[in-house]
Amino acid sequence: MIERTVEVLIIDDDGLSREELASACAVSVEWIERHVASGLLEVGATATMRFTSAQLLRARRLAEIERTFDANDELAALVVDLIEEVERLRGR
Amino acid sequence: MEFKDYYATLGVDKTATADDIKKAYRRLARKYHPDVSKEPDAAERMSAINEANTVLSDPEKRAAYDALGRRPPGQDFRPPPDWDAGFEFSGGDHGAGEDEFSDFFANLFGRAARARRGADAASMRGGDHHAKVVIDLADAYLGATRSVTLRSARLDATGHVVTEERTLDVTIPRGVRAGQHIRLRGQGAPGYGGGAAGDLYLEIEFRPDDRHMVDGRDVTQRVPVAPWEAALGAAIEVATPSGPVEVTVPANSRNGRRLRLRGRGIPGDPPGDLYLELDLVLPPADTEAARELYRAMERELKFNPRQATERSR
Repeated sequence: MIERTVEVLIIDDDGLSREELASACAVSVEWIERHVASGLLEVGATATMRFTSAQLLRARRLAEIERTFDANDELAALVVDLIEEVERLRGR
Repeated sequence: MEFKDYYATLGVDKTATADDIKKAYRRLARKYHPDVSKEPDAAERMSAINEANTVLSDPEKRAAYDALGRRPPGQDFRPPPDWDAGFEFSGGDHGAGEDEFSDFFANLFGRAARARRGADAASMRGGDHHAKVVIDLADAYLGATRSVTLRSARLDATGHVVTEERTLDVTIPRGVRAGQHIRLRGQGAPGYGGGAAGDLYLEIEFRPDDRHMVDGRDVTQRVPVAPWEAALGAAIEVATPSGPVEVTVPANSRNGRRLRLRGRGIPGDPPGDLYLELDLVLPPADTEAARELYRAMERELKFNPRQATERSR
């Protein structure tokens, strides 16, 4: 069955709200707020608290590392920093 | 539906303790983590490992699974009626990705099975799904349509779980960059009890291509040039992702020189730039005539590249 999709949205044109980001990462809004407050996750636009594609990817990775390894926030962020660095180097 | 041997997936014995299972899970999660692993099937393996762990790390689910007995993996399998009688699934821990586990899992522990037991009467929004879409760089310049196949479980009229596949034609807008996400509202997991469906997020990835490197909207393209084109300068035609372009190679260009074509990167506001990186290719010395030309250069030019390197320091 083929359906033609109507709505296609590139996230960076608009950004995700805190609630949408939380839902996309299967975490709570408090989790997002805690990670933003501790500087482990950046906000795309501070005034409106909206998040970009890059931050969605980072938040998903943080949540997944924390969940899989029972890792604390800072250690998970360190791992994700390294993953991002490896990706940047491989892209060269 | 194929039987899944979760113990084999985690490489543990049926008598493994909760601690053994946790250790085995973490070891495999490190090995097959899709962001780190170089194994080609890392993402599928990780999903299978997560599924096995979700069942075996939960005492209730593990007990119910054990009660099914052991069968050869892959064998066609239907759970006996009332197989789960006497087991109480808390079902509260709706882990990430659970909606994307196998049919086997969906039948035994999935959302549809929970709904059948009436455990989740409250209205709840469906989970968001994630997938990657691989496109060619040219698709980012022109836009593209990709078919994405999604699988979802639902209950049929007789209360059995059936998995359905549906294909969506997704229009990928021009100007899209690697790492960006496209959101399709309402195309994730269906909601419970009248709740809204989740969203589907598609992450854009470019197909690896050894001629182009992409950094945001800027694109670097390697362009092979002959030594005389680089040395004497030339007007050459280059097939760029946005079409053929005539480019002037300045005289005395060195290997690796970058020429910028403003605005010819990935479209956008502002568009990226296209960098042409000159890749000097030597003609093969595979005929007597070619060898004689190289010998003539050797005689006439008195060129020692090592000396040139020393001098330029």
